[in-house]
Amino acid sequence: MPVSIKECCCFLKKIGNPRRIIHFALLASETSFSINEIEALHDLFERLSHAIIEDGLIHKSSGLRFSATAARTICWQILFDIFDIKKNGVIEFDEFVRSLSIFHPDAPESDKIEFMFRLYDLKHNGFIERDEMVLALLSEMNVDLSNDEVEAILDKTILDADLNGDGKIDLEEWKAFIPKYPSLLNNMTLPLLR
Amino acid sequence: MEEEKHMLLGGKYEKGKLIGTGTFAKVYHGREVSTGESVAIKVINKDQVRDQGMVEQIQTEISATRLVRHPNIVELREVFATKSKIYYVMEYVSGGELFAKVSGGGRLKEDVARKYFQQLISAVDFCHSRGVSHRDIKPENLLLNGNDDLKITDFGFSALPEQKRYDGLLHTQCGTPAYVAPEVLRKKGYDGAKADIWSCGVVLYVLLAGFLPFHDENLMNLYRKIFKAEYEFPPWFSPETRKLISKLLMADPERRISIEGINRVPWYRRGISRNSSFRSKRERVSSPDPTPGLKKSISSPSFFNAFELISSMSSGFDLSTLFESKEKKKVASMFTSKFSAAAIVERIEAAARGMRFIVETEDDFKVRIDGTEEGRKGPLAVTAEVFEMAAEMTVVEFTKDSGDTLEYERFCEEGIRPALKDIVWTWQGDVGSSNGAGEVTVNSG
Repeated sequence: MPVSIKECCCFLKKIGNPRRIIHFALLASETSFSINEIEALHDLFERLSHAIIEDGLIHKSSGLRFSATAARTICWQILFDIFDIKKNGVIEFDEFVRSLSIFHPDAPESDKIEFMFRLYDLKHNGFIERDEMVLALLSEMNVDLSNDEVEAILDKTILDADLNGDGKIDLEEWKAFIPKYPSLLNNMTLPLLR
Repeated sequence: MEEEKHMLLGGKYEKGKLIGTGTFAKVYHGREVSTGESVAIKVINKDQVRDQGMVEQIQTEISATRLVRHPNIVELREVFATKSKIYYVMEYVSGGELFAKVSGGGRLKEDVARKYFQQLISAVDFCHSRGVSHRDIKPENLLLNGNDDLKITDFGFSALPEQKRYDGLLHTQCGTPAYVAPEVLRKKGYDGAKADIWSCGVVLYVLLAGFLPFHDENLMNLYRKIFKAEYEFPPWFSPETRKLISKLLMADPERRISIEGINRVPWYRRGISRNSSFRSKRERVSSPDPTPGLKKSISSPSFFNAFELISSMSSGFDLSTLFESKEKKKVASMFTSKFSAAAIVERIEAAARGMRFIVETEDDFKVRIDGTEEGRKGPLAVTAEVFEMAAEMTVVEFTKDSGDTLEYERFCEEGIRPALKDIVWTWQGDVGSSNGAGEVTVNSG
């Protein structure tokens, strides 16, 4: 396995930490990232995880610095719950890398579509439901829309996506819906990860 | 078997024959075994870059090279290292050095020289716009690919310490600092971008003349000539090329022509080749309607669905905010308005025409805006689309179809935004328009 320049420099400086390099190499083999990229993500992770409590983990409160509005706080909490694969209330570096891997430009689109479904499946019951969406929508808005207008938008959207007419969107319907609106996937790819 | 695998560099590349030797590095032809694709592999011995500062500078430059993807710049594909060596895997450029065309006293026709010079300036401009200057433009670094297009190489070394670099330069085959700007030779602080322009001037001269503008057996005399920008034009140089070269080879960097200046020179602009690799994907969808007037049947804009609303109106799920440094501001490209879709389209068209863009209405609610000037990555092409969000509320979204991102940002910030000020309700995604962190509730797991 070739070692990146950056790691070589680390070696030169302090004869490195072989355990860490093996750890990174392992992550690289299981995700879309190269070792260099994982190293860079580790720097980012350290910055985030040291925001409030310095224990090398990301806590829910760590996200505060980039959730400047109530709407973004809700988004952060949703993301946090998905990133926290082990459901133990903290995000470890492994979980961070594996979740971000889905945002890599080379990650399969089907993974992105499924991940996005989970963002909106707020009850984790396999459906995007109309009332969940109302909640999300209303809290997101910083545009002046009346409740009626929000309801109208939702009705039209459900009508468009709900193929079997049960009033909610399941994963299969979601998979058919997204390709019609490709711009929805924009946020699911971070060009910076390359 | 094991043994064989070991021989592959980085587990992927087969090293072929030596194709070049520099002061610090050897360059080999290589092949990616899985694809059979040719690459160039530059190998640097770590003993020669032992000094830690230098290693760090190499790293900086690697990231600089990653910033600059351009059809006239050799692409750096991968970097890896072993205990003793650093390997740069680069795009393989098959056509050899540009200067093979003028070696032995041959020279190029003005049209041919201009084409290469245009490609050189396009690449250099692109780098400068990304804050990277090459600082070592010279014959060995200008290559040609199979299509006879110019490729600049060796960005990875531009920031190596000057002492060593110029010492290195003195020992290259041409044996002279003939391409180096006077202020660089003086070893004072200098502007790398301006120094690059000088070097481009020397390159243009050499292509047209077949020999160097500054040459002298005696190194002291050579330096003196460069400091004073003392050179002569061969009789076959046209008045236009004389004028341009005298602006490029201006000893005082402050008075030297800028890239914007070069872009305005008629001789330079002539037959400027459009970089085909920058052509937008728009071509594929373009179906110019010969009778747009007859197509007035669509009466309402497309509907903006709930998910589009969520993902575009708030940047909550946009993780790129994690990676951005604070000072970098993202350009808002979407606004809401209480004006009618038709009124908005009219205003966008007028604004774009006012900026000398070509405007084409695709349907009633989609406007294509095309730049007339060749930008850094071809002309700018933008689409503006109006969606219906709710009664009396429309969303307008701008997307860049092709062209340079920085130019697009300027188009939005300095053109569109002020021009549409009075019809905009809010711009979405503006940084700084948030309501402050005060209302956020801490909810630690």
